[in-house]
Amino acid sequence: MNGNPFSFDPEAARAEVEAFRRKLEAGMETLKHMGPIELGTTPREAVYTEDKLTLWHFKGSKKPTAKTPLLICYALVNTPWMVDLQEDRSMVRNLLAQGEDVYLIDWGYPDGADRWLTLEDYIDGYLDRCIDVIRQRHAVASLNLLGICQGGVFSLCYATLHPEKVRNLVTMVTPVDFHTPDNMLSHWARNIDIDLFVDTYGNVPADVMNFAYLTLKPVRLNQQKYVGLVDILDNPKEVENFLRMEKWIFDSPDQAGEAFREFARDFFQKNQLIKGEAHIGGKVIDLKKITHPVLNIYAEQDHLVPPAASTPMASVIGSKDYTALAFKGGHIGIYVSGRAQAQVPPAIHEWLAKR
Amino acid sequence: MSDKPNDFIDQYQAFVRAGLETWSRQFDPASQTAAAPSADIMGRMFGGLSGYGDWMRSMAAGEPGAAPFAMGGVPPFGGSGAAGPSPYGPPGAFPPGATPFGYGPPPGAAPFGYGPPPGAEMPQPGTEQFDEWARVARETLSMPAFGLTREQQEEQQALFRAWIDYAEHYARFQTLLQGVNDRAGAALREQPAPTDAESMRSVYDRWVNLAEENYGEAALSDEFREVYASLVNAQMRLKVLQQKQVERVTKQAGMPTRTEVDSLGERLHAMRRELRQMHGLVAEVEALRAEVAALRGATAPIAAEAAPTGKRAAKTATKGRTR
Repeated sequence: MNGNPFSFDPEAARAEVEAFRRKLEAGMETLKHMGPIELGTTPREAVYTEDKLTLWHFKGSKKPTAKTPLLICYALVNTPWMVDLQEDRSMVRNLLAQGEDVYLIDWGYPDGADRWLTLEDYIDGYLDRCIDVIRQRHAVASLNLLGICQGGVFSLCYATLHPEKVRNLVTMVTPVDFHTPDNMLSHWARNIDIDLFVDTYGNVPADVMNFAYLTLKPVRLNQQKYVGLVDILDNPKEVENFLRMEKWIFDSPDQAGEAFREFARDFFQKNQLIKGEAHIGGKVIDLKKITHPVLNIYAEQDHLVPPAASTPMASVIGSKDYTALAFKGGHIGIYVSGRAQAQVPPAIHEWLAKR
Repeated sequence: MSDKPNDFIDQYQAFVRAGLETWSRQFDPASQTAAAPSADIMGRMFGGLSGYGDWMRSMAAGEPGAAPFAMGGVPPFGGSGAAGPSPYGPPGAFPPGATPFGYGPPPGAAPFGYGPPPGAEMPQPGTEQFDEWARVARETLSMPAFGLTREQQEEQQALFRAWIDYAEHYARFQTLLQGVNDRAGAALREQPAPTDAESMRSVYDRWVNLAEENYGEAALSDEFREVYASLVNAQMRLKVLQQKQVERVTKQAGMPTRTEVDSLGERLHAMRRELRQMHGLVAEVEALRAEVAALRGATAPIAAEAAPTGKRAAKTATKGRTR
């Protein structure tokens, strides 16, 4: 053991503590004057609703140039507003600016009435009906489907069940191999008695999910982040950005019990998707049936869906037109960082435009 | 040893009394609100900062072993809220109550907010005293129940056994986290001191990196996976038994239970699926009908084409007759 690993000037340390205290005190004024936080800034119209679900159609400042509409299928965990967080951090807004005609599924907040919704209800039910609504609105046989995280898994499953309704498939931070050695979440889930868990909770509370996510990096996410907040407390705009993200993180929906049971057991624990053993409503999910053009975008520093969980997609789908795009960032940064705004939507648009 | 079971029975009776009081409080909306989780930004911020602030003070006081490894958060739904530490927890090791999914009593607090029986010395889980106490408690809790309330007694015995089980798993989990803490602290101390004086913030950031690194390694180990899952499973077994007791009270109060509501929901969903399937069949039949009609329509002109020939023939014949 080293005798003294620190090199402090005691006077400087005391001054630092005092400066920190003063900054915090002054920052309280900023916090007192923050207004309510809103997410989802791009103008939109609800074109279909069912139970808790809303299908949104976004309106850009110019008419879309793309002939095939693009549907974003988000995960069930968290709200979908990560893709439209604020005006200058909006994947939706940037896709519209590129000329895409963008739709988004907002799954809503499940309650006790949704306890028995299965993956079949979500994928072959809600998602399928949303796709039919869009096909009808645009008089097209198929559309472009963009799945995000768990929504990416849903999109893969959907494309095998209804290949004729999907023209191009874009997946973002989407796992196909849930058993890679660096996947902490699936590592933890492996020995949990999922049936007991769901039977006990019914719907899995959002707070439970959030707690699990926070404990993936407990010090950084529960402490260091808030220490860092003090640095920006004198900048209301930065604080507003921080709070908006905070709202998105913690304003999350509960998980419908049965769908959670199936996803945790079949995907996280049994890794059935990559093995070709997953079933949705009794139908086998054979990824080889995906012969559509596929663009798979993953984040190099993703701690929730590590790249190794996503990149095997290339070898398990049947498509001969597969493109992988690595983004330098994390699971959230891929939507909200400045680099993401500049890189991701144009890359998606360019890829779609060629097909 | 002979009086230990008797001591325990006294404790157990006190525990049941306290438990009944707690039940009655469950129906008091004011007490529910007080125990409700608070996820506001201020609370979280102060939670994070209190850990950091205490760490800074301890560092300034020359205690390099201090560890800001607080999760800073509360168990989300205040499992330990009533009896445990303040919601945004003290700094130091992972705070008591920082269990997977945040649910469950901290050491020393019995399930369902019961708290230790009045006058009872509840040893800390993870200690030899606790193990001995748990052994005796388990023996006593396995004794048969009698009389009118035997079912309730058995349920309560099961609940208490589940809590003991949970407390043991909890202690194992805390030991693992403490190990992470210790290793991160040791790693920081082993790092060579920078030549220039550094800010406390930079030491803190160094510490966070090491803490996360050590935690990440531990969290991906087989041992962690096993301990974590055992704790979650124990939490769920405990919660199921708690729910059972709540359901008993709910029934007595003439209110619908969660099991009943779930059962209704399940039937409703089954009917919705059947209905949707039937709609699908109706749509198929309609499509087939339309197809048949179209086919009939397609054959009609052929028949129509054939018919004029007949008419023409008839006309010709008529003409012929006229002639």
